[in-house]
Amino acid sequence: MDILILALMVLLGLYMAWNIGANDVANSMADAVGSGALSVKQAVIAAGICEFAGAVLVGSHVTDTIRKGIVDPSALASMPGMLEGEPAALMVIGMSAALLSAAIWLNFATWTGMPVSTTHSIVGAIAGFGIVAAGIGSVNWGKMGQIVASWFISPFAGGLMAFIIFKIISRLILGHHKPARAAIKITPYIVFFLAMVVTLATIYKGLKHVLKGLDWLTDTHTLLFAFVISVISTIISRLHVVKKLAGKETLPLAQQLELVEEVYVPLVIISSCAVAFAHGANDVANSVGPLAAVANIFKTGTVEMKVPVPLWILVLGGCGIVLGLSTYGYRVMATVGTKITEITPTRGVAADIAATATVLICTRMKLPVSTTHTLVGAIMGIGLARGLAGIDSRIAKKIFKSWLITVPAAAIVCIILFLLGRAYLLDYVRELVLAARVG
Amino acid sequence: MNIIQELFGKSPFGPLVEHTKKVHECVEMIRPLMEALVNEDYDEIRRLQDQVSKLEYEADTIKHNVRDHLPRRYFMPVDRVDLEGFISSQDNIADKAEDFAVILTLRKTKLHPAIMDKFFDFVDQIFQVTGTLLTAAVELSNLAEASFSGAEAKVVLSLLKGLNEEEWKADRKARSLSKDVYALEKELDPITIIFYEKMILTLGAIANEAENAGDMLRTMILK
Repeated sequence: MDILILALMVLLGLYMAWNIGANDVANSMADAVGSGALSVKQAVIAAGICEFAGAVLVGSHVTDTIRKGIVDPSALASMPGMLEGEPAALMVIGMSAALLSAAIWLNFATWTGMPVSTTHSIVGAIAGFGIVAAGIGSVNWGKMGQIVASWFISPFAGGLMAFIIFKIISRLILGHHKPARAAIKITPYIVFFLAMVVTLATIYKGLKHVLKGLDWLTDTHTLLFAFVISVISTIISRLHVVKKLAGKETLPLAQQLELVEEVYVPLVIISSCAVAFAHGANDVANSVGPLAAVANIFKTGTVEMKVPVPLWILVLGGCGIVLGLSTYGYRVMATVGTKITEITPTRGVAADIAATATVLICTRMKLPVSTTHTLVGAIMGIGLARGLAGIDSRIAKKIFKSWLITVPAAAIVCIILFLLGRAYLLDYVRELVLAARVG
Repeated sequence: MNIIQELFGKSPFGPLVEHTKKVHECVEMIRPLMEALVNEDYDEIRRLQDQVSKLEYEADTIKHNVRDHLPRRYFMPVDRVDLEGFISSQDNIADKAEDFAVILTLRKTKLHPAIMDKFFDFVDQIFQVTGTLLTAAVELSNLAEASFSGAEAKVVLSLLKGLNEEEWKADRKARSLSKDVYALEKELDPITIIFYEKMILTLGAIANEAENAGDMLRTMILK
């Protein structure tokens, strides 16, 4: 592969990932920072590690859908009047344009303070490319419909799950006449559930994908392994809770409630890390996925239906995120930390568990959903359960509006970039593709 | 700019508890005022009236602060109408306490010995009503923490039940006191009787508003 091309691709991927780190990542840690469980600096470090791990370990599931689920590459090849190597070259230009336009849109959104989903941007951009390159028919509208539906379903599912989890916490612990005693009894179960969700998601898809040699890791073994880890976490949490709360049930109610919230501090940290992990797995892979297609075309000279996502691309995405976090996301996180927010650790845990579980389930179903929006849905669920003192409905509306505008906006930017690229770069790229075939 | 953090509004319940406490400080001035009246220490009454005015002003400042936290766009765990009704009832309590102080400064009225005990008993009963409301209302932040349900909600609801009973007692005492005042119509000049009646009505209004505030608190919990 040409060194210049490689450098350009790396830059493109880094720019995209930088934008995610600068814009999106702070959201995944919102509950931990908002409830005062983590300082801004700690949150940046934790987010960096978890996002990186999520991107590298779990990253490749959704990229398939993004790459070939939305636009059918064979529609390009079967178009009349194509020169040799032209479909592949168009694919390269299109995917690069999609990536660049999503990144530009995201950059613009960060700059203007618009809440925009990475996933939605890239899906919109690719659809835009597909429409112009191979006609409206080349876009898999059935799949597109599924994806768009999942954007409405995922916040709803996240909200419902958060509502239920918080109702359970509220009824069994906070509403108990002796919250300290109730917390000792109930918290380990919540920890078990949390540990189960996190470990299952990690092993089942992540480790299995990266470490292919692990044949002993069958479904049963995975379940067993997750169970053991969950039991261990449960025991640890039980010891921690007993140490913190035993004998405290005679204190006044207000103090008991405060102590219970303190017990949930480590949990909200873990659950926020899980959100960051899911975010890394989902959004990062979504966004750098198209790079895999480009890299593969340059390597083989042909458009293949099944393209392996090289590990280096996922690592690149992870690095870009950490870069974005440390250069710009840090500032975003700082405003999070200084603003007085009214979310307590118990609420944070409920929202985080619900968001993580929803995003991971959707990832598993190969539906690219937005982590941010699922988390917003989960927070709304807590609000409906009377758990939050106030939710700003104007911000909620703003988020909803941005859902509607992102897809067309990213699509239009992508169409412009693609047309420019096709006009000026097609011959050059085609030569590179043909050279790859010879080589 | 972090959108999720902006989603969270600031809680009105902390400042609301502050408001409740400040309002009750106004009510707490009534007894010293009555004692000054018995001692016919009119300078002290003027001084106390200044103090009540100041407290009422402070309560108003907190009230505006609370209202600032309640823009229409906030989606809250309690009904906005109930919450606003609660605040305005509390506000009225402070206003009435101030009115009471002002009435005492208008004229150098003497308290007739025949109604003195009953009058103080009535004042204590008013205090009983507002005190019960205070005990229930300071639990608001805890209620929000426990999402307005469970054991905490039950505790507050049973306190509020007591409030209704205390208010009913206050009403009865007001009637009986008024009767005693009119029984003195041969001895007292009519202006003094009007003044007594004004005092009783103002104090009664405090108990009424406290009951209203309690009712609002109840519907907030039961939403």
